[in-house]
Amino acid sequence: MSTLDQRARRNRRDAIVRVVGVVAATAFACWLPFQLEGGDIGLYDRMGLYALVAIGLTLLMGFAGQVSLGQGGFFLIGAYTSGLLTVGLDPDSRLVDPDAGIDPVLAVVAAPIVSAAVAVVIGVPLLRLRGHYLAFATLAFALIAWSLLYAQDRFTGGQYGVTVTKRLELFGHQMSGASHAALVWGLVGLALLLSTTLVASRVGRALQAIAVNEPAAAASGVNVARYKLQLFVFAAALAGLAGGLFTFYAQFLGPEDFVIVLSLLFVVMVSIGGLGSFYGAVIGAVTIVYVEHELRELGTRGSLLGWDLPPQAPSILSLGVFGLMLITIMLFFPHGLLPGLIGAIRSLRRRLGASRRSG
Amino acid sequence: MTTFFQLVVVGISTGSVFAIVGMSLVLVYRATGIVNFAQGVFAVLGGLVTYSLSQHMSLVLAGLLAVLVTAIVATVVAVVAVGIRGRTTHLASLIITVGIAIFAEAVLLAAFGEVPRSYSAISDRAWNVGGVLVQPQYAALALVALLAAVGLTLFLRRTIVGQALVASADSPRAAELIGLNLRSIAVIAFALAGALTAIGGVLLAPTVPVSYSSGLTITINGFAAAVFGGLVSIRLALLGGYALGVVEQLVVGYIDPQYNLIIALAVMLVLIGWRSRGELAV
Repeated sequence: MSTLDQRARRNRRDAIVRVVGVVAATAFACWLPFQLEGGDIGLYDRMGLYALVAIGLTLLMGFAGQVSLGQGGFFLIGAYTSGLLTVGLDPDSRLVDPDAGIDPVLAVVAAPIVSAAVAVVIGVPLLRLRGHYLAFATLAFALIAWSLLYAQDRFTGGQYGVTVTKRLELFGHQMSGASHAALVWGLVGLALLLSTTLVASRVGRALQAIAVNEPAAAASGVNVARYKLQLFVFAAALAGLAGGLFTFYAQFLGPEDFVIVLSLLFVVMVSIGGLGSFYGAVIGAVTIVYVEHELRELGTRGSLLGWDLPPQAPSILSLGVFGLMLITIMLFFPHGLLPGLIGAIRSLRRRLGASRRSG
Repeated sequence: MTTFFQLVVVGISTGSVFAIVGMSLVLVYRATGIVNFAQGVFAVLGGLVTYSLSQHMSLVLAGLLAVLVTAIVATVVAVVAVGIRGRTTHLASLIITVGIAIFAEAVLLAAFGEVPRSYSAISDRAWNVGGVLVQPQYAALALVALLAAVGLTLFLRRTIVGQALVASADSPRAAELIGLNLRSIAVIAFALAGALTAIGGVLLAPTVPVSYSSGLTITINGFAAAVFGGLVSIRLALLGGYALGVVEQLVVGYIDPQYNLIIALAVMLVLIGWRSRGELAV
């Protein structure tokens, strides 16, 4: 009995430490953009947006054992939902009536709701199947969403895109530049709190049981299909929210921002941090955005180590590096690059310690 | 009515490529349990290598060499995709092949540039069958798909190697007990599937130019064909490929060319959903 009490106390202490830690880190993350300059703010903002998507995906991959290759599709739906609602759904009144759309705040709120609704429709029949079905189905969904941008160009502007001039305003403050980035990172913190609390709760124990042994979990009365659906919908809603905020970061929506490779990049981000690791997902998003930025700089330099670079060099470099990253990580660190490296360092230190003791 | 039959003829030819890729996916899945996301890359590789080599030699020789090159590349893909024994799960393998597909785009872009490539067809004449134009290239594609289906079915049912392939996926442990090497099995399956898909790619490029980024669409269409047969039936994958091709062409002809991919993918989503009543996750 006393051990149970101790454990309960320890759990409560852990929870408090976790919440305080996340809140402190979030406060720092929200303060940081005001110290950054110009282009760096944009980069930092993008890191936060992708982190939101990656947090949802790591939950799905880590606890439902399912991989979605279509998070970019939910991101796209969120972005165009908030964008089109802001400028007005009717393409004809958009140009003549400046008040055609709804308030940007409402548009951002609508983004995750629409993405989540789409996820319910896709998820119900597919989550009962083996992993590769959901992988391909979500990819198909992302491709459909992307193709619809062109097929429905009357609404979406097709390749010419949509320009969103209205700014997001919260409590009288315009959210652009540094304040937009701060808002995004605040939401990243909120998503972290929500996800970690979810995993530590009764729901989380069910999720962990599913992750370890699905048939056993089902046999002990866990409604596996329902939990998986909830995770899938939550992940889609986070991606939709990130997309909705992206609209007011980019102020322009065009198909190039939502290429199919983006969906695959989210998987790379999660694989860096580890399946089911929320902080890892954030680190993965930050890493990928930073590496992509650096590779683009490198690729546009014209020549590298005496070689003349072709105009496609930025794409070649980023596709090559990210492809190799994903292959190596899944081969050698299937539980994530960060956890793998930490584990390797720990075992090395143990071994060194052992040899020192024996020697 | 002539338009309808013309669309069906073109649909069967493009559908043959989906069928070929779909059957290749089935072969690999039945032998290894892995769904190879990079399968479409093999079709692209076949087409682009043929294009490059045909600048220096006859088209037939270039095509044959391209198939050989692709088969060799496929063996490397097999070793990487299977991963480390006892550690790499099938889902991890799928993600590895996603990585291979991304990496392959970089290599193809660096080696062949971004311009879609095409070359001359088998013959530039066309047979006129009651007003419907049938190009020999279409016939060749449909014939290859059909022959591949018959050949693969016989191979899996009648030959020792074919049965070993199926057995090793059904029960990897039992297969190892009777002395089968799972890695060799995977290499054989990937190489065969790679060669088959490359033949499809070599024949496809004259009708639909291929570029470094075509692989993804080819893979997903092939997967749709394979899903028709639950990822295990060669025969249904063949029919699925034909059906998908015809549906896409009918959409192009009667509705809107912009919707062909959308409708095809929607058909696949419905098919998977319909399949889900039968197969449950393990």
